Amino acid sequence: MKSFRSKLLIPGIVAASMLGALGTAQAQDVTIASSMPALEFPFFVHMQKALAAEAANIGGISLIETDGQNQTTKQTADVESAIILGVDGIIISPSDAVAMAPALQQAVDAGVPVVTIDRRVEGVPGILAHVGADNVIGGEAQAKLIMELFPDGASIVNLQGQPGASPAIDRNKGVHNILDSMSDKYVFVAEQTANFAREQGASVTEAILAGLDSTPDVIVAANDDMALGALQVVQEQGLNIAILGFDALPEALGSVRDGGLAATIEQFPGGQSSMALNTLIGYLRDGATPEKLILLNPIAITKDNIDQAERLGEID
Amino acid sequence: MNDVTPSARNFDAVQFLSKYAAPLFLILLILVFATLEPRFLHPLNLFNVLRQVSLSGLIAIGMTFVILTAGIDLSVGSLLAFAGLVAAYVSKGGLDDRFAIGASAASGNPLIFAVLAAIAVGMAGGALQGLAITKLKVPPFVVTLGGLTAFRGAALLFSGGGPISGFGPDYTWWGQGRIGMVPVPVIIFLLAAIIAHLVLRYTAFGKHVYATGGNARAAALNGVPTGRIILLVYVISGFLCGLSAFLLSARLNSSEAVAGLGLELTVIAAVVIGGTSLFGGIGSIFGTVVGALLIGVLTNGLVLLNVSSFVQQIVIGVILVAAVALDQYAATQRQAQ
Repeated sequence: MKSFRSKLLIPGIVAASMLGALGTAQAQDVTIASSMPALEFPFFVHMQKALAAEAANIGGISLIETDGQNQTTKQTADVESAIILGVDGIIISPSDAVAMAPALQQAVDAGVPVVTIDRRVEGVPGILAHVGADNVIGGEAQAKLIMELFPDGASIVNLQGQPGASPAIDRNKGVHNILDSMSDKYVFVAEQTANFAREQGASVTEAILAGLDSTPDVIVAANDDMALGALQVVQEQGLNIAILGFDALPEALGSVRDGGLAATIEQFPGGQSSMALNTLIGYLRDGATPEKLILLNPIAITKDNIDQAERLGEID
Repeated sequence: MNDVTPSARNFDAVQFLSKYAAPLFLILLILVFATLEPRFLHPLNLFNVLRQVSLSGLIAIGMTFVILTAGIDLSVGSLLAFAGLVAAYVSKGGLDDRFAIGASAASGNPLIFAVLAAIAVGMAGGALQGLAITKLKVPPFVVTLGGLTAFRGAALLFSGGGPISGFGPDYTWWGQGRIGMVPVPVIIFLLAAIIAHLVLRYTAFGKHVYATGGNARAAALNGVPTGRIILLVYVISGFLCGLSAFLLSARLNSSEAVAGLGLELTVIAAVVIGGTSLFGGIGSIFGTVVGALLIGVLTNGLVLLNVSSFVQQIVIGVILVAAVALDQYAATQRQAQ
């Protein structure tokens, strides 16, 4: 038995030291688990990095970073592990508003405060706070910029997002909230979905432009991918149309800087991360009860205020 | 033990390894995780792991039957999503209040109809594929690759892309409830494993499954109804997909068209790590249970230790290959002696 034991122990120690080197083992007074739905998407990687940066900035925080790998079951397991580890709080962007509710209810029941970011969870009243951006206000910011660029009125093509998706509905609503009251000046000459996809942004724009008698003044898109697709077509045809995107992706920011897109909308996902962390830490360290709903104000980014964009540093 | 010669001891070790590589590795992993993070052994955590394993483990049991006949079932993740949505639809009596959760979640149809609907969808899906394999003579890989796409499409079409959520407490108990400390899905998984083990070991059907996978032509010559056996293993796989789909929707209080994306890979990995040969004829339910536990323990332990999720995926991939390589090495050593 003795030799059998030592055979087990040696690889055990090797594996242990390997794993120890991979994990973070600092002495910190607060442990926070972060749970992103899918770190295969740069958007969530950006949120995750902002969270880690803010944690280092505040100090004394040990951050356990988990990745749902685009599966509700994996994210549920991550939350369960966080509860077992006895973390002081959880910051999560739920992969699904309903399917993540049982796991987060478990966390709340175990006395672990939970802050949701970007996406909400439904039916868990004990959530400490939600930090997010209001897509309706983002759409309104697009509309206000159109009024600023074209004070005498404009003909507008509206590229809508995926039918039924809540950001698509809200962003479209925001644009219409502002411009519908001035329908004599601001005319929607075409409104079509391009499903948030770049190639559809291009093909739908091509079809719309072919069907219009005169060149429109503005193309407003519900995300950057569709806007960049439209830009491709507009540049090919040598037209002069102001194109507005949404999300402030690095590629869109580069295009705004270089005079391609007229603008994009910044919702500060990194700002949401640090706001969520500060909210949670304020509650844990100072006992401050936060607002249940914290919404950041989206702004339009143009060439003039591009330095306010979060991800400007990601382009060269 | 002390008076054996070195060569005899080596011989023993190889034999030992060839038979118990996966369980030994599982024990080793548990020891390592328990040493590095004592909370790993917390009963609540162990039951969490078991519950997480149960849902994919049930499907892995079905996959074991399939792989024992030298087949493969790539459709399980998609079939799981489709069956789960049908169960949710039946439970809610339609799509009218598909998002209603909480007090208004009172179901439209009795629970048993929802369970039977999920299982019926699973078995029908399995039968359809089994027939295509046996009657149309299309290779299992191709048939179930088609199933992987088609059932996902069916799930998306059926649900319009969105989830169907919010069930009554009698429904969710099957995914969230416990008997004593033990979660309900764990009990169902263990029962299914025991039944499957008995069926494979002690029934004529079980022996026919091994014979079909070992050498289909010889089996047929010896009077084994290989066509019917192959059809049946895909029906079994579909049945367990349906059952798992119901338990998953009960666990999450929601069914979604994107459920089980990539699940087939996890399940096949569990079966293969458990020592079942992809060429058929060799393998056991015990091995599959160990393989499923190994993946579950590994995922859980690495999260507890706060290992980067990107590194986790590399570690699991390496261990998958290493486990099979070890098994192969031990097998060739054994044959050489």
